[in-house]
Amino acid sequence: MKELLIILFSAILVDNFVLSKFLGVCPFLGVSKNIKTAMGMSFAVLFVMVLATAITWPIFNLILFPLDLNYLQTVIFILVIASLVQIIEVFLKKVIPPLYSALGIFLPLITTNCAILGLTILNIDEGYTFVQSMFSAVGAGLGFMLALFLFSGIRVKVDHADVPKFMKGLPIALVSAALVSISFFGFKGLIEQLFS
Amino acid sequence: MQNLIHTVIMNSFVVPALIGGGIALVLGIIIIITTKVFALPVDEKLEKVRNILPGVNCGACGYSGCDGYAAALSSGEDTNASRCPVGGPETAAELADFLGLEKPSFIPQVAHVYCQGTVDHTKKRYDYSGTISCSAAHGLFSGPNSCTYGCIGFGDCAEVCPYGAIYMADGIAHVDSSLCTACGLCVKACPKELIEIIPKHLDAYTVKCRNKWPGAQTRKNCTIGCIGCQRCFKVCQYGAITMDGPLAVIDQEKCVRCGECLDVCPTGAIMNGLMLAADENGHPTTSGLHLWTDPREAAKAKAAQAAKAK
Repeated sequence: MKELLIILFSAILVDNFVLSKFLGVCPFLGVSKNIKTAMGMSFAVLFVMVLATAITWPIFNLILFPLDLNYLQTVIFILVIASLVQIIEVFLKKVIPPLYSALGIFLPLITTNCAILGLTILNIDEGYTFVQSMFSAVGAGLGFMLALFLFSGIRVKVDHADVPKFMKGLPIALVSAALVSISFFGFKGLIEQLFS
Repeated sequence: MQNLIHTVIMNSFVVPALIGGGIALVLGIIIIITTKVFALPVDEKLEKVRNILPGVNCGACGYSGCDGYAAALSSGEDTNASRCPVGGPETAAELADFLGLEKPSFIPQVAHVYCQGTVDHTKKRYDYSGTISCSAAHGLFSGPNSCTYGCIGFGDCAEVCPYGAIYMADGIAHVDSSLCTACGLCVKACPKELIEIIPKHLDAYTVKCRNKWPGAQTRKNCTIGCIGCQRCFKVCQYGAITMDGPLAVIDQEKCVRCGECLDVCPTGAIMNGLMLAADENGHPTTSGLHLWTDPREAAKAKAAQAAKAK
């Protein structure tokens, strides 16, 4: 249990996907203009991360690994994630329309999100068991949500601040992203202390 | 040997291809099944409205895009079929036809420069020798012109115009209405906020001035500016003219284009007419200050000629 909690919390804080692994930076900058869209995107990412891990882990460990086809993992995983998002979209549209409209455009955008592919491949590389992979997926999703939530809050504040003209827009967003990222380095070493 | 080659081919080509293809096939079948099982009945009306709209998704209608506007129209939430400036009157008419709405009166729009302060009317306060750009000059004591509200004339607007509808002459910008599509890029480019999108009537009366100085100071700096004498404000029977401090402003929605304000304006700040055609050289037929000829003047001249001939 302790091990699972370590995986969960290190995925949220120490190995935050956006801020220390620099995966999924495009949605991080693209949809963080206000808190509402940021949360919509984060929920969609969390949702797809968990489902993608639940499907790619068995595919790798039951089909690809026994047949010695490890090199196919990137291609197969992209295929699986893309189709998965398609299926989820169709399913949600019919069964849970409110969730579908809440996730909106973000769901199809996730198809090509590197954070999802990165998560599934990292889970395999780390040699996690199925349960560990699921915890790592939830942690990664929550970490993405935390990063996006913090950053969108900062951007809303920056919008009202008196920024020099040449720094307006993306430049100041990149600078503040760097500062948020640096602040997350403060969590290094936290996890071992927390559970020791 | 033969056997070895056979196994190598099997293991490194056939098996991966089968695995990859198999997974793709299974996923494809699942997608097909889910789309069939969870198929939604498509709203035919919405689809048709969506097809009539141009599909540029520019958002000029005020909705998030063509889908948003189509949804609002087909659900009866919005009954104005003329919100799409890209499609223009044709799209508006087609939409109104299809939805059984009232035929909209679609007035095309055009960009209009609110300044007549050419070099003849204004002076230079200093010699500007920096970057040739209005926004740069605007940053240096609001530009070199004696009127700090007026057009600087370096052509930031002409630069951004994708249609070549803006040209610079006598130190100010002019819009050729026959080329202008009212896209609004120039409105954003002007650091003095002198350009506005107005309805493209043949008679378009505007106070072509944006200065907020008291009359005396205006007279000192520009001979054709609005001095805030309020004569047009008093003469307008339709309430179309309001005073924004010392500046008269004509509301294009309320204006009935009677032309009375034009007759009383002492400085010539009010003017009529948008440039609507080009001459054989491709230049707009009207240029500089003489942007239009008053039809009443022409009639008077004709009458005088007729009297002379008699």
